[in-house]
Amino acid sequence: MTEKPTQRLWAKARELAPVWTLLALIAFFAVYSDSFFTLNNFANILNQVALLAIMGTGITFVLLTAQIDLSVSYMATLAGVVAAFATAGHLPQPWPIVVALLVASALGWISGVGTAYLGIPSFMTTLAMSLIASGLSLYLTRGRILFDLPPLSKTLGSGRVLGVKWLVIVAALTLLAGHLVLRYTRFGRYVYMTGANARAAELAGVHTRRVITLVMVIAALTAGFAGVVGIGRLGSATPTAFDGMLIDAIGAVVLGGTSLFGGVGGIPQTVVGLLILGVLRNGLDQVSVNIYAKTLITGVILFAALVFNIVFAGKKES
Amino acid sequence: MPRTPPLLELRNVDKRFGGVHALKGIDFELWSGEVHALVGENGAGKSTMMKILAGVIPDYRGEMRWRGEPIRLKNPRHALELGIAMIHQELSVMPELTVAENVFLGRQPLRGRVVDWRRMFLEAEGILAELGFGGIDVRAPLADYPLGVHQLAEVARAVTSGARVIIMDEPTSALSPMETERLLALVRRLAAAGKAVVYISHFLEEVTHVADRITVLRNGERVATLEARATDKAELVRLMLGREARFFESSYVGRRRVADAHSGEPAVLEVRGLTLPRRFADVDLTLHRGEIVGLYGLIGSGHFELGETLFGLHRPSRGQVRLEGRPLAGGPGAAIAAGLAYLPPSRRQGLFLQKPVYQNVTLPWLGRIGGVVPPVRREVALTRGLADRVGLRPPDPLRAVGAFSGGNQQKVVLARWLVEPPRVFVVSEPTRGMDVGAKEEVLKILKELAEKGVAVLLISSEPETVLAVAERILVMAKGRIVEHLEDREVTKEMLVHAAAGEMQRSA
Repeated sequence: MTEKPTQRLWAKARELAPVWTLLALIAFFAVYSDSFFTLNNFANILNQVALLAIMGTGITFVLLTAQIDLSVSYMATLAGVVAAFATAGHLPQPWPIVVALLVASALGWISGVGTAYLGIPSFMTTLAMSLIASGLSLYLTRGRILFDLPPLSKTLGSGRVLGVKWLVIVAALTLLAGHLVLRYTRFGRYVYMTGANARAAELAGVHTRRVITLVMVIAALTAGFAGVVGIGRLGSATPTAFDGMLIDAIGAVVLGGTSLFGGVGGIPQTVVGLLILGVLRNGLDQVSVNIYAKTLITGVILFAALVFNIVFAGKKES
Repeated sequence: MPRTPPLLELRNVDKRFGGVHALKGIDFELWSGEVHALVGENGAGKSTMMKILAGVIPDYRGEMRWRGEPIRLKNPRHALELGIAMIHQELSVMPELTVAENVFLGRQPLRGRVVDWRRMFLEAEGILAELGFGGIDVRAPLADYPLGVHQLAEVARAVTSGARVIIMDEPTSALSPMETERLLALVRRLAAAGKAVVYISHFLEEVTHVADRITVLRNGERVATLEARATDKAELVRLMLGREARFFESSYVGRRRVADAHSGEPAVLEVRGLTLPRRFADVDLTLHRGEIVGLYGLIGSGHFELGETLFGLHRPSRGQVRLEGRPLAGGPGAAIAAGLAYLPPSRRQGLFLQKPVYQNVTLPWLGRIGGVVPPVRREVALTRGLADRVGLRPPDPLRAVGAFSGGNQQKVVLARWLVEPPRVFVVSEPTRGMDVGAKEEVLKILKELAEKGVAVLLISSEPETVLAVAERILVMAKGRIVEHLEDREVTKEMLVHAAAGEMQRSA
């Protein structure tokens, strides 16, 4: 195989497909809406995708190893419920938050062991885990809404510092931490190599099972963290608070260009994917669209973007 | 030569794949009733030429003529309609169907709209008898018969479809010596019946035995076309290899003097009674410092699984592996830490094709050459040095491995284990699918490692590879080591016979 300069440019353009999608969307909404292209609105968009960003960080790890986690949104709900439940039970702060994160991590570890050591596809382990997490949320709350929240959740979820929402800062820091780990650490390299070719990684002495278990723990932990700050934003913990975020969270990561087949992608891609989703949802609110058609339009545009990004970028697999 | 034009002709045929010049102005003639063998190393252009003859590659420069008339085959179906059939290395038979169905695959005789089974069975029996295989039950599933019969079914299919040219690609590579004999007889019979056979094989004794004429290809050029009667193996080897092959010359001539075990040197690896159920049993093995031991076996004999087990990929049910006296247990990580490296039989299994060379090379060593954060610059510098040592071309540590040729990909895997030379290096099929030049370079690296004291276990199903560098040779058959060859002259025939369980008869 010889690589020509044009081929390299083409490959580069293909790799950047999600960025073109994002720019096209921004351009579109900037033209068709007066209120879209404003600093204030951009701050809005960031705030709207912040929780997704925290969850998406962990999902990026999981997808990079060619696994999937379908339990993240339920894990977020559960962590929020646990934190509120423990606060209502007068557990001293910040222990409710610690316990919530530990519970999420433990469940993630179980999914990970089931996947990596028992060989059950992560699709199934995390599907089952989503029911377990959801069931625990219902069981703990008995269906009620909990209003006793950890103060830290309230601060991070709805407070501001120097005029900037804490939530946005927390999301940015989570993404940054994820990026540093993936890009610069040995563990990050193992994650990429395991996803690129698990067999080859094993032959090079990488403990691929350990790596897969760990990324499932990381996904559960970031999801739990999203739940803990998320209840602060909502002002309450309900047994289904974040359940609906699953599709957006995975969708954002995939839209950004992280491959479902593992080994390709990363946090920068996830950031682009999050922005695509955020701009799309926010932009559709700005232009006058029939409110009942909005979901349909979002779906169609997402599908088109996926076709553009994935089919286009996926060609290099063959 | 008769005055009528040849059945099939190539005139100045030229083919490039990207930057690779696969065929350089080839001329070729095929006459009815002849067996025309095609020999040459991997990468010499045999398969490209064959694919052009069979219509698989329709775009090339130059001309093909069928009975003197210029023709351009559009696809394999077009070739079949003319009467050119190709029998692939990977057979296209359906083992679950009966022998007769396989013979008539896609052309079953019909009565009205249903298959006329009686007629199909009768005709299949007739054809097989004609081909000299009368005793086969055509009603039995093909799966009941050994590989030789599968091949036969495919030949019979070609014959019944009216093929006048039959192209056979390495037809004997998976056959036992007995089956090989029968196939060669069949080939002669086809020629006697007026068919033209293009016979591709790297078993030269077979070729000189069965062919009327032999065309030798090297690096995409036709080096010579010889009367089989007027040539011999040694001449063919010289023509095939040119001057670049030091190791392979002796191995192609097919014999090699093997030495004693390096018993003066300390034993590095000791294997006692190692057993992996249904794969191999009671394997004893000792490797000494600095020796290259060949482990030869037919595909399926368990030798590849033995390599995997030594590296910790399977858990043996019984037996012990000791490396410098210490028991070796646990997965690949433990094996690497103890100084045992492993090269898998398939390069793709061991490489990350989308990732740059340096990441492929340093992966096992990240813990040693850096802490939590891998030092990319040092990795790249280290890899650059190793790339020079193994002769990687181009020597670019940042290039994705998938962009290299097969031989160079193998050098990347080898470079990985040169970061810190292992004590024991288990290599499976290190030269599979490479051209001579690349094979030589890879084997040279193994030799150098051995000279530095590494004990090398060379596992292969290619007698040439084992004979090229092994200092003593073990033969594995059906999961057991059946032969220790040391301090004597070893020929390829001895290896193949021992592996097929026929040592006593030939010795």
